[in-house]
Amino acid sequence: MKRWSRWRELLAGTAGLSVTLGLSFLIAVALILLLSKQPLATIRWFFIGPFTNKYYLGNMLNTAVPLVFTGLGIAVAFKSSVFNLGGEGQVYSGALVTTVICLALPAANGYGGGLASLAGAMACGAVLAGLSGLLKMKWGTDELISTFLISSAVGFIVNYFITGPLDDPANNLLASYAIAPQYFLAGIFPPSRLNVSAGFAVLAAAAVFFLLNYTHTGYEMRMCGLNREFSRYGGINVSAYVVLPLVLSGALHGLAGGLAVLGTQHMAVKDFSFGMGWNGIAVSLIAKNNPLAVVPAAVFFAWLEAGAKAAMLHSDVTFEIAAIVQSVIFYLVTAQALYGALRRRKVRL
Amino acid sequence: MKPWEVVLSLVHNAVGIMTPFLLAATGGLYTELAGMLNIALEGLMLVGAFFAVVFAGLTGSLALGVALGIASSMLAALLFGLVTLKLKANVFIAGLATNLLASGLTVVLAFQLFKNKGVVRFELGSLPVLSVPALQGIPLLGGLLLGHNLLVYVSWAIVLASVVVIYRTPFGLRLRGTGLNAPTVASLGLRPQAYQLAGILISGFTCGLAGAWMTLNLAAFVPNITSGRGWIALVAIYLGNKTPVGIVVASFVFGLSEAFSNYAQGALKVPADFILAFPYFITVLAMILYSMWRHYRARVR
Amino acid sequence: MAYLRMRGITKMYPENNVLANAEVDFEVRRNEIHALVGENGAGKSTLMKILYGLERPDRGGIELEGRPVHIGSPLEAGRLGIGMVHQHFRLIPDFTIAENVVLGVEPVRRGLFLDREKAQASVRAVIQEYGFSIDPSLRVRELTVGQMQVVEIIKILYRRAQLLILDEPTSVLTAQQIQKLFLTLRHLRDIGKTVIIITHKLGEVKEISERVTVMRAGRVVAVRDTAEVDERELSRLMVGKAASLQVRREPAARGRAVLELRQVCLLGRGQDHPLLDRVDLTVHAGELVGVAGVGGNGLAELEDVVSGLRRVSSGRILHDGQEITRLDARELRRRGLAYVPADRLHRGSSLTSSVMENMIIASHHRFLRGGVLRRRQAEGFASRLAERFSIEGDPRVPIGTLSGGNIQKVILARELASRTDFILFSEPTWGLDVASSEFIYERIMEIRGQGLAILLLSSNLDEILSLADTLVVMYRGRVVARLANSGAVSKELVGEYMLGLKEDRP
Repeated sequence: MKRWSRWRELLAGTAGLSVTLGLSFLIAVALILLLSKQPLATIRWFFIGPFTNKYYLGNMLNTAVPLVFTGLGIAVAFKSSVFNLGGEGQVYSGALVTTVICLALPAANGYGGGLASLAGAMACGAVLAGLSGLLKMKWGTDELISTFLISSAVGFIVNYFITGPLDDPANNLLASYAIAPQYFLAGIFPPSRLNVSAGFAVLAAAAVFFLLNYTHTGYEMRMCGLNREFSRYGGINVSAYVVLPLVLSGALHGLAGGLAVLGTQHMAVKDFSFGMGWNGIAVSLIAKNNPLAVVPAAVFFAWLEAGAKAAMLHSDVTFEIAAIVQSVIFYLVTAQALYGALRRRKVRL
Repeated sequence: MKPWEVVLSLVHNAVGIMTPFLLAATGGLYTELAGMLNIALEGLMLVGAFFAVVFAGLTGSLALGVALGIASSMLAALLFGLVTLKLKANVFIAGLATNLLASGLTVVLAFQLFKNKGVVRFELGSLPVLSVPALQGIPLLGGLLLGHNLLVYVSWAIVLASVVVIYRTPFGLRLRGTGLNAPTVASLGLRPQAYQLAGILISGFTCGLAGAWMTLNLAAFVPNITSGRGWIALVAIYLGNKTPVGIVVASFVFGLSEAFSNYAQGALKVPADFILAFPYFITVLAMILYSMWRHYRARVR
Repeated sequence: MAYLRMRGITKMYPENNVLANAEVDFEVRRNEIHALVGENGAGKSTLMKILYGLERPDRGGIELEGRPVHIGSPLEAGRLGIGMVHQHFRLIPDFTIAENVVLGVEPVRRGLFLDREKAQASVRAVIQEYGFSIDPSLRVRELTVGQMQVVEIIKILYRRAQLLILDEPTSVLTAQQIQKLFLTLRHLRDIGKTVIIITHKLGEVKEISERVTVMRAGRVVAVRDTAEVDERELSRLMVGKAASLQVRREPAARGRAVLELRQVCLLGRGQDHPLLDRVDLTVHAGELVGVAGVGGNGLAELEDVVSGLRRVSSGRILHDGQEITRLDARELRRRGLAYVPADRLHRGSSLTSSVMENMIIASHHRFLRGGVLRRRQAEGFASRLAERFSIEGDPRVPIGTLSGGNIQKVILARELASRTDFILFSEPTWGLDVASSEFIYERIMEIRGQGLAILLLSSNLDEILSLADTLVVMYRGRVVARLANSGAVSKELVGEYMLGLKEDRP
């Protein structure tokens, strides 16, 4: 009986999600039919394209890596009922810090310098997000808006460094000097750009899962997220759990940016991280804020992007149809009318 | 230029530049008063901006462009409203979805229609400018308040009308009641959701107009031309203490900071990116001061 | 002839399988004040919500003046002349009285604009017509609770209601306010209105009503002329058996003072009198101090202050002689103070978390090794507690799936598990069934026997009288009586203190 109700719970949960994902596929097909002059080929490239060769497949998985980190960052925040809308700027500035540290240490040991540069990226993200947490704790400043505004402002500053002092005149890109080769993360699926950071992503998901469910801090964080009044009553230092989740969330975002530099870009490219922060929110919501489910959800999102890219290269639609399909998922992923009806828990009073 | 002339032209420019903030914030005020967080202002503005200039370009009529831009923005608002109110999606996530949809849709359509994902230019006449020669001579008033395009004055009319609608009509009373205590409104047999949807649609209307102001002024569409103005408008609602008059003041401050940025970019040797970040820093600072003020006021009482 | 007749009303809440109304027949005559009584959960409110169009019955019909009517919404109820004053006021504090009254039926000028002058004037006319005295331009936020209730009544009179339903209107009122309300109700009856008043206070039934309908467990068990029944019989009808708590209270040795409040004051925003006014209170080891009071007289504030969730404005609190005035809930937990809150569904538990997670909230430090939570140990702890307190259900299921009685047992088990010398109870049996209540009383008596100091806050007089060694009564934030609970203390006497009719200045 109990087992049955758990199954029903699970099924009902997936039913809503299936409707959401199914609808987003339908929209994708409809868009292609509407916009493409060779719809069948486009549809094929959109859905199957990413799997047709090692290069595309590896790149798709590589696209998922930062989304795993940003998704985890959002999951940590949402589990604690705080918001972090500053993911974009945190990823971007994390990438800049990693680049700067690597450029400052051109001859250092690859491991030591690499770790230092990632630590810098995490610290940068943590400070940016944590600042909003402190403001919220101290004066009740709404972190939803402050994270966004701080991140936007920081984005311009990062642009300045990439296109100004750090700009490499030797390349035609709006990008910084390249970092030294000893910092490059080892590729694991040539010729694609997939590298060992994919392993880090999986490890990070496991670590966040463990943190949330098996540690003291995680327990207190979740309790504060579910019911702040109860947590205060139970003797938890609730104000600390406004700041800590944001610090963690920011650090994970910063790490996403840092790893993208070491693993994929090898330099800071202007606007390269655009969308990683926003998509982390959708990834986390699809995963129902469960850190382990963040990994497949990120791969799914990466598939949409890779599909759109393949369709753009081989057919006649533009990459941004991915954004439209993603927005459909965004619209529906929290729609209780799709999820709640079956899943409503019996709460007897 | 003499310093006072600089100040005067800054203020004059600010009065024009504040228009999209003012419009979006005034519309957003209706949603806010109905008790909903409207993060979609940004996306609604972008939709309005795109369709206004595209329709104006296609029909050759600025008026039609404005009207159809507003209609498109309201349609997007309707989608946002239905998903939140009927499908019971989280209002904040649905707002983000609207912003994402707007930025994706406008680029896809620009690509489809003009095979161009960058700046799309149109051959358009400029928006009619209000000039009253009789008043032009008055030193301050003439310099600051006249010589803007028609939509600026329309935005002022909308603010004035909003004061009346919000505080002097049954609709306004019910709208505010919904935000303050929706169960009470429901217990009287009214439908709070109807007022919330109305608030969202009104925000679609004003955001459409705000978007039209931006692109028709330029006679061009630039991807993500709104670049965060919707968010700043949201902050203007809070800083304006959720009153139309307060919003005028807050919007003017943001308009001034942008006007100053534009001036600094040309006149002072400051990198453009710092200038672009400036309004955001100002906004964060204003938000922090506002929450400090609220925090300490609550203590004193 | 019956003015209102509800026939065969059946309503089932599928979420929790509760049959709230079973074949209920209910009749009210024109021009009477009719009391509808019953315990918590007897189905009174559900029946009235059906009458007011807030709920739909599964079966059954309603006739008004002999004609069958369909009431699908409060709006339709209003058109039929039915108005309801809810237990929790439906008012908008930031609006004026006039705005609250006209909301939804606003007078309009030139077809578009809100006619504020006319709104004020017509509300003032209603106020005068029915003999109230209140200024319609005041904001509701500034009113007393009694005045807010008047506004609710004006609201339905403005809509020309003939039948007024009042859901537990006296629960938040002071004695004088109650007398004023009853005067109003009699006046309304005299000018031709019909009134249904829901209550579970039997004294009020006798005082105000002409007829009374008694409900129990979703059914009507009796309809009487009020003059023909006495309170004892009503009470027997309500609970099914003569209500008397079977609690054995052994005499206990009183030890040292464990918790002391000295001249504690709490000021509220915009209140004309302090929420707590120079409260002195001492709880000794092995002593149960019961604090009684009507809602709104400082019990909730006392709960918050003693539990460390709200800071006092002045005065001191001592635990074992040490100052704890400035400590917050976390620091009090560290000292081992335990607390069973009145709001057990929000403050006392986290409904979507598992029973285990709810049980370890105050003691999860015990299950740590190097920052890692040892789940197996925690689950073992939870299972042992569940067994000892005969809590049904797997400790891994969300606590929200348990019954109210079991939720309270989980909270009790958790609080008693912390090694403590002091525990605060607030409304520990509110809304619980008899078996759960008795279980909780036994546990309380048990820990008292072990020498704990216990502070019990309750609006249930029977509970206080059967459990407490020392009885304290609060009225308007002040301690108005402090009595040793010997057999000589009667319910009536305590009731007089509670309603402010009598006051010692201790």
